[in-house]
Amino acid sequence: MKRGSLVSIIIYLVIAAVLISALVILFRALVPEPPQPEVEEARIAIAAARDHDAMVYSPRIFREAQNTYDSAMAEWKRENTRFILLRDYEGVRALAMTATEKANEATRNTISRSTSLKENLTSEINRLNKEMASFEKFFLSVPLPQDIKRNHAKGKLLVKEATIDLEKENYLGGQIKISEANEYITGTYDAAREKLEDYFRRFPDWQEWASATLRESRKSGSYAIIVEKIPGLCHLYQGGKEKYVFRAEFGKNWLGDKMSSGDLATPEGRYSVTKKLSGRSTKYHRALLINYPNKGDIQEFNEMIRNGQLSTDATIGDLIEIHGEGGKGTNWTQGCIALNNDDIDILYKYVSAGTPVTIIGSTSTLEEFYSARSQ
Amino acid sequence: MKNKFFLVVATVAAVVLISSCAKVPQAALDAATAALDSAKLVQTDVYFPQEFAALNDSLNVMLQNIETQKSKTAADFKAIKVSADEIAVKAAELAGNVETKKAEVKAEAETMMNGAASLLDEAKTLITKAPKGKEGKAVLDEMKNELGVIETSLTEAKTAFDEGSNYVQVVDKVKAATDSLNGIITELKEAMAKAGIKI
Repeated sequence: MKRGSLVSIIIYLVIAAVLISALVILFRALVPEPPQPEVEEARIAIAAARDHDAMVYSPRIFREAQNTYDSAMAEWKRENTRFILLRDYEGVRALAMTATEKANEATRNTISRSTSLKENLTSEINRLNKEMASFEKFFLSVPLPQDIKRNHAKGKLLVKEATIDLEKENYLGGQIKISEANEYITGTYDAAREKLEDYFRRFPDWQEWASATLRESRKSGSYAIIVEKIPGLCHLYQGGKEKYVFRAEFGKNWLGDKMSSGDLATPEGRYSVTKKLSGRSTKYHRALLINYPNKGDIQEFNEMIRNGQLSTDATIGDLIEIHGEGGKGTNWTQGCIALNNDDIDILYKYVSAGTPVTIIGSTSTLEEFYSARSQ
Repeated sequence: MKNKFFLVVATVAAVVLISSCAKVPQAALDAATAALDSAKLVQTDVYFPQEFAALNDSLNVMLQNIETQKSKTAADFKAIKVSADEIAVKAAELAGNVETKKAEVKAEAETMMNGAASLLDEAKTLITKAPKGKEGKAVLDEMKNELGVIETSLTEAKTAFDEGSNYVQVVDKVKAATDSLNGIITELKEAMAKAGIKI
């Protein structure tokens, strides 16, 4: 090869290399900048929202952020199929920035909502614990229907489960459980209050009967018995002054007046001892038979049959006594009033046929009942 | 001569262009996605929630990097292929650990259920021995109601355990029952100690 030709080739190659490099540099300068920083920012914002449990506490906005991010990626993918110099990433940038804004909004909402849920859950747990304590203080000995008592127990367990959710920072789960617990506990509390308030509507009658009994006992100097169901007491008075007070137990459904035989209720009203029983004539150590049903009881019973409150097959019942074998710590009789044997021995010594026996709910008002139990 | 010159320029330009058209490692990407889907099927998101979320995030980073490379004149997918392979391996590993973790949580749930059953029996026995004063009987009646509700809750927990869907929830349910039972037993023992009754 001639020297001149070699030099020409080298010159041509250098020029070609320079031209190609210039073309490549120019080409790269014209290529649009990819939207990588904006998409990265959106991805990080969504990850942060997820870490805060935004899909639990701000699900709608989190989903919007996620969908917008997916749209940004799809748009980016689509732009990348075009010839490189014709690509336009502005749409992708806009979607990515919207996704970032939504993710940040979801995070802010989550923090606010979970804080608020935590405070509310804590407050509700404390409130319901107090309400349960009140229920047990006021109504534990009140004969409520079994389903009400069971609901109270269900509510108690749900509060326990909600407390565990609170510890695990599962505020939404806890909120669901505490709402259910609230329905049970508040429901049982309201039912118990209503039952007691309904019962205490008879207070004026009780007050009148007790006053009349004491008045007569004072006037004649004789013995009289007043039985109070709410505190579970049997008082023996002489000449209007209390001589003895005994613990008493009643029928299982003691809250209310006796309506018929087999209702397990202890009657209320003014009665008197008709017979004294001991030895073989009673299986309860000693007993004082009273004149239930009295005129008022019979009248009331007949009216209830007439207006359908009682079945026509119902019978009024009888053989209500104050007797021994009590002290079981529960209300267990068929309607009688039970004392322990030592106490019935004392009562038996002092009373005779004709001794007044007045059975009432309470000598204290309902407000005094709540006040006494609050202490 | 001029023709040869332009031929050389065109050849070199073509080489430059062709070298920038690297391919997306689609097979590796599909394998990584499939591995994550399989991991989710075996409840990896339930038993390893944070680790699973991190892997999903890694997948998103990888997809992002793919588009970033495609946006360039000279794409390079070597690092992305490595990421995709790593994700697939980690997802498979995590999925493999689910059974072990599930067995651990299942064992914990079983131990707790057995413990709760023993506590329930103990509570029922103590109730028969507890003092029965007037208020005491009312409290005992309330406790019996509670034990009834707790027993129902433990039965529900056993059903969920047998179904094997989510042992974590079973543990939570039994924990609440256990806490309640411990509270009742403590109260009964205190009352019995006060009354001088032998436990």
